[in-house]
Amino acid sequence: MKSQHTTESVKFPKISAIVTLLNLEDSVEQIYSSLSQTLEAYGEDFEIVFIDDGSVDGTFTKLSQIADKDARTKVIKMRSTFGEASAVDAGLKATRGDIIIYFTGRVRIDPKDIPALLQKLKAGNDLVIGWRSPRRDSRLNQVVSKLFNYIVRNISKLKLHDVNSGILVTKRSVLERIPLYGNLNNFIPLLASRQGYNVAEEKIGQLAGTFRQSRYVKEYLQRFLDIITVIFLSNYSKKPLHFLGFVGAIFVIVGLGINIYLFIYRIFQFGGIAGRPLLLLGVLLLMIGIQMISIGLIGEMIIFTHAGEIKEYNIEKIIGYSGE
Amino acid sequence: MKQRGANLHCSIVIPVYNEEENVEILYKSIKDVMDRLDNTYEIIFVDDGSTDNTFTALKGLHETDRNVKVIKFRGNFGQSAAMAAGFEAAQGKVVISMDGDLQNDPQDIPNLLQKLDEGYDVVSGWRKNRKDKFLVRKIPSKIANKLICSITKVKLHDTGCSLKAYRAEIIKRITLYGELHRFIPALAKIEGAKIAEIVVNHHPRKFGKSKYNLTRTFKVIMDLTTLNFLMKYLHKPLQFFGAIGILLNVLGIVTLFWIACRLLIYKFPVIQLNILITVAFLLLAGGVQFFFFGLVTDLIVETGTRKRLYLLENYRSVE
Repeated sequence: MKSQHTTESVKFPKISAIVTLLNLEDSVEQIYSSLSQTLEAYGEDFEIVFIDDGSVDGTFTKLSQIADKDARTKVIKMRSTFGEASAVDAGLKATRGDIIIYFTGRVRIDPKDIPALLQKLKAGNDLVIGWRSPRRDSRLNQVVSKLFNYIVRNISKLKLHDVNSGILVTKRSVLERIPLYGNLNNFIPLLASRQGYNVAEEKIGQLAGTFRQSRYVKEYLQRFLDIITVIFLSNYSKKPLHFLGFVGAIFVIVGLGINIYLFIYRIFQFGGIAGRPLLLLGVLLLMIGIQMISIGLIGEMIIFTHAGEIKEYNIEKIIGYSGE
Repeated sequence: MKQRGANLHCSIVIPVYNEEENVEILYKSIKDVMDRLDNTYEIIFVDDGSTDNTFTALKGLHETDRNVKVIKFRGNFGQSAAMAAGFEAAQGKVVISMDGDLQNDPQDIPNLLQKLDEGYDVVSGWRKNRKDKFLVRKIPSKIANKLICSITKVKLHDTGCSLKAYRAEIIKRITLYGELHRFIPALAKIEGAKIAEIVVNHHPRKFGKSKYNLTRTFKVIMDLTTLNFLMKYLHKPLQFFGAIGILLNVLGIVTLFWIACRLLIYKFPVIQLNILITVAFLLLAGGVQFFFFGLVTDLIVETGTRKRLYLLENYRSVE
């Protein structure tokens, strides 16, 4: 590994920009030209990788025309839409730069502000996330995003304003340590911070635009399911029983309380309980509680039986083991 | 790397977090003891994301003595993670863990090693005369110990003592995550280890602040529940979930029987028993579900632990 590094690092550009696109044929040109102009002005060697996440319009044709003209650009076409996380992962594997700029074409950020993010990265941070401000997307988007970020801020230790802005600048070593699948691309800053990396944010302007202004209701609902992901990522990922045991215990206690009350009620002949809906509630709560604790235990068991693969830490430096 | 470690006898693993005043004193007293012992050794400091000058101090120690090795974490990942990293890096045949706050006494190391030579796999320290505040540390610790002992069935007076010695074969197979470092003896027992304890010294804290807090009680209880479950049912989870399933089913059937009596003998109108009937069906449905939980966990264990079991037999035959 080491010998490869010394001979080949010269050949690779320092900055790799990964841009994911889905059905954006109208704005491909604009994204490319403003991004390449900005990076040229910034002065470091760079490459741009466009990932076409299974577009059904002319996005790929436009991208291949660009790649033909400009040797610094590459295009990866996914066979169908596999989602952001897979696209970033593919982009990461196809690039070699030490510094990664990642953004999704959908968010319409202004590439002119990217150098500000790069500066902040140089100032000693490991990851800088863009904070879209002022925002120019639809009102509903903004409200949902504000609410989402407010909740995330309260759950996690990171105080970010736009955790899933879709634009970030980081080092290759950081992204390579983060598992990228499913919806996890929305939480890259949280995942990085959990690995002990310094995470900062920097304002980035948004372009006024027309494409994909509104999202589907499904996507908004997704946001709120994502919050559960954040809770688990922040606190309980290796210890499911800490969470499920807590919730389960509350259910069990309430359920037991109801049932004990009904038991006393029946024993002292205050009346029959067979027709009381409260009985159903008590039994139901008790059972759900036991079930949650059981599922927690099953989770613990899965983790324990795969314990050999767990590494809960991230080593920055080792001194004394010269063999490594 | 392997050849280098082949004849190393003893690895001392010390997790440290903001202990800049302590590391050098600790190093000197360990060196004193180990040099008298005539064994090869290494001291592995794991810096768990200290925010003071601990790492600089450790680097200095490494420069004067190559037996000192340092692992620096990128952030604060907790004591379990720090110990896990140290244990993984350790190359000695024997691994010793201790606290970085000078409360453990390196003078006890020879006794630990001697006890290990008597044929034990894990030797745990017992701080018989604890030099800590009575109310906030000693009492909770006593209660926790009693609880841990009775649940894990590992008879130790002081499982929380960090000063312990292990055979490398055992400790390398234990993966610490979450806050499992509190339960290493129990985890070792799952691996089939023979465990002993000896009385060790304990000093009051000189520098730095104690990192103990009482709010973790709930987590400890949950971890104990897990451990209890794993120790009893790791290889037969169906027995645990099946028992709950049977209980719920029996309750459901009894309730149904009760309803039948009411309907047939006492001629109750069905409408009055509606809720009770729902309860009976709920219990039956839940009972069946627990059987499936049991089957799924059986599957998990079947696919997950096969390697571990194999290793266990292998280890014993090598001995």
